[in-house]
Amino acid sequence: MEIASLLRKPGKALVVGVCLCLFIGNLSAWAAFRLGRRGPWIRGFIEASYGKKMNEDSTKHDEYNLAEMHFQLKSRVDLDFNDLLYNWGTQLNVKAEGLLDNYFDTTLSFSVRELNISLTPFDWMDVKLGRQILTWGTGDYLFINDLFPKDYLSFYIGRNDEYLKKPSDAIRISIFSDRASLDLVWIPEFIPNTVPIGERLSFWDPYLQKIAGRDAVMRIVDRSRKIGNSEYAARLYGNINSYEWALYYFNGFYKNPKGFADQSNYEVYYPNLNAYGGSLRGPALGGIGSVEVGYYDSREDKDGTIREIPNDKVYLLIGYEKDMGHDFRIGLQWQYEYMMDYSKYLHSLMSADIPEDIDRSLFTIRLTKQLMKQTLTLSLFVFWSPDEEDTYWRPSVSYDINDHWNITVGANLIAGKDDWTTFGQMERNNNAYVRLKYSF
Amino acid sequence: MKRWFLFLVAFGIFSLFAIKGFSLTADEVMKKAYHVQNYLADDERVHVEMKIIDSQGRTRNRVITMLRKDMDNEDKEQKYFVYFMEPPDVEGMTYMVWKHIGRDDDRWLYLPALDLVRRIAASDKRSSFVGSDFVYEDISGRNIDEDVHELVDETDTQYIVKCTPKKPDLVEFSYFKVYVDKKTFIPMKKEYFDKNGKLYRKLEVLESKEIQGFPTITKGQAVNLETGGRTEITFSNVEYNIGIPDDVFTERYLRRPPRKWLK
Repeated sequence: MEIASLLRKPGKALVVGVCLCLFIGNLSAWAAFRLGRRGPWIRGFIEASYGKKMNEDSTKHDEYNLAEMHFQLKSRVDLDFNDLLYNWGTQLNVKAEGLLDNYFDTTLSFSVRELNISLTPFDWMDVKLGRQILTWGTGDYLFINDLFPKDYLSFYIGRNDEYLKKPSDAIRISIFSDRASLDLVWIPEFIPNTVPIGERLSFWDPYLQKIAGRDAVMRIVDRSRKIGNSEYAARLYGNINSYEWALYYFNGFYKNPKGFADQSNYEVYYPNLNAYGGSLRGPALGGIGSVEVGYYDSREDKDGTIREIPNDKVYLLIGYEKDMGHDFRIGLQWQYEYMMDYSKYLHSLMSADIPEDIDRSLFTIRLTKQLMKQTLTLSLFVFWSPDEEDTYWRPSVSYDINDHWNITVGANLIAGKDDWTTFGQMERNNNAYVRLKYSF
Repeated sequence: MKRWFLFLVAFGIFSLFAIKGFSLTADEVMKKAYHVQNYLADDERVHVEMKIIDSQGRTRNRVITMLRKDMDNEDKEQKYFVYFMEPPDVEGMTYMVWKHIGRDDDRWLYLPALDLVRRIAASDKRSSFVGSDFVYEDISGRNIDEDVHELVDETDTQYIVKCTPKKPDLVEFSYFKVYVDKKTFIPMKKEYFDKNGKLYRKLEVLESKEIQGFPTITKGQAVNLETGGRTEITFSNVEYNIGIPDDVFTERYLRRPPRKWLK
């Protein structure tokens, strides 16, 4: 294929992407004009992205880690062809995606990001069935009680924020009352986070005891598809005047492969996890304050004596956001985690193991400034842990050229003292990216 | 004769007082105008289209449907629900405001792509509303208690009121003038003057009509005289007293927009 061969070069992929965007853009504008519609039935976007890698590494392509075209088509359809469905306000929600990923082999892959039905069978109940994005909690890029799947690969290579959340095939039942409401979620098949495993992003390989790329030996053991591997999550929540409170429950698995299985085969897996938590959010000190707590109950290591399984942990997250005026906002967060049964944990380690600290603080800051009538957005998000001595900076500049076109330039800059810390292990994945997007 | 004369004089003086007494004060004019602009009926649904035009004639469009419900009869507490239709990258987004008097409004934004309910810290009511030449306060209404009102002129059809902020450091203007229609109490024009007394911004009503007996603005514009940019705003499908229930203004409907009320 002529186009396929063109696309092997990431720079050319961008050029082809732009041309394609222009074509679809003009076609869509023409169609909307001809049909005289207020809004199109099908919406979506096409986006071309390129991310230049800044470090020597041992991944598949050390010169770049993002070179792709994404397109998305979405639609919402009211299913009102019979009285019952109409009365239930039944709606079908579809979001389909295509990805031409130049990182691997430039083949076009399709996926369904959302495919669900929402309905209201009773005044006091909503149901959402099917593939959907699930989010709750108060954190900004930090998640304690939101144990729904995330895609950290997309996060680190500089894809749009939308891709940090992975869809779940789930049933969500929401029950409402004046005092409190309840969300019940059942995810029949466990879906883990997407995390760096060496091919595209280098990481700390616990078996090699070093940062590894394609030379990584660690292997993730997936959970098999069976009912016993399903996950349950619940949230009880409500408002007291301007304050929102919530209690959370989760029964499932660690989202990252934190447990060690057959070590002779370099295996890691997702151990059982229960989580209990709560949060409060509302006006404070002239801005919005929030507090979230969580207890991670590591069910396979109740006593904290098993070396291969993480111990129980307590999490605390305090957040604050303030509007400084003139379209400038700041957000600050402090996350604190504390390991239970620490002495037993130390005792369980072998001599070559690198011990985790008993606790860890992580601070974040978000600065957002909008200019030129909110069409130009300057943004900076920084993670910084004084305990692990690592940091991750996410600067970006985003410009809405018009109602359809957006260009975003940004970077993922990571540094750490040690190779095994949360961000320190990612330090060879620094990139600077550009994304051009046409929405219609 | 003398008695008649005295009677006439007395009547004349009385009438003068009476007219003076019946004529509205600046505060009363502003109170009525505030009511007409923001608190008509108990609730309202309106389709809003904004065309943001820069000095070079380039345009951007914003289309939303807005629900409003008054939470008291004193022209104070209100709740708003906003559903975004244009531009494409914010389509499907919802926005909710619980408007308060004397403290910051509560605002929430729901991003459907992330299924994320965000709380918005927003104390600056003078920042642009969705990137237009309107500021947030133009849409939700500037609390009349924040200004001192002075009736500076009166024509056959309009009251002209000068509004001077009590806390000048919170706003970018030194004062503004409002031209209020005597019949409908629609504020037909607002002129904003900067710290040097220069007119730099104006809001104008371009069209209004009576809907369900309520005087309603159907078209207006905000003009930025400094940049030469302006924003046209059109209100259509206006309906009052449709009986929107309180719970529409909760997280439930933020996540699942209430189609019944947004039509």
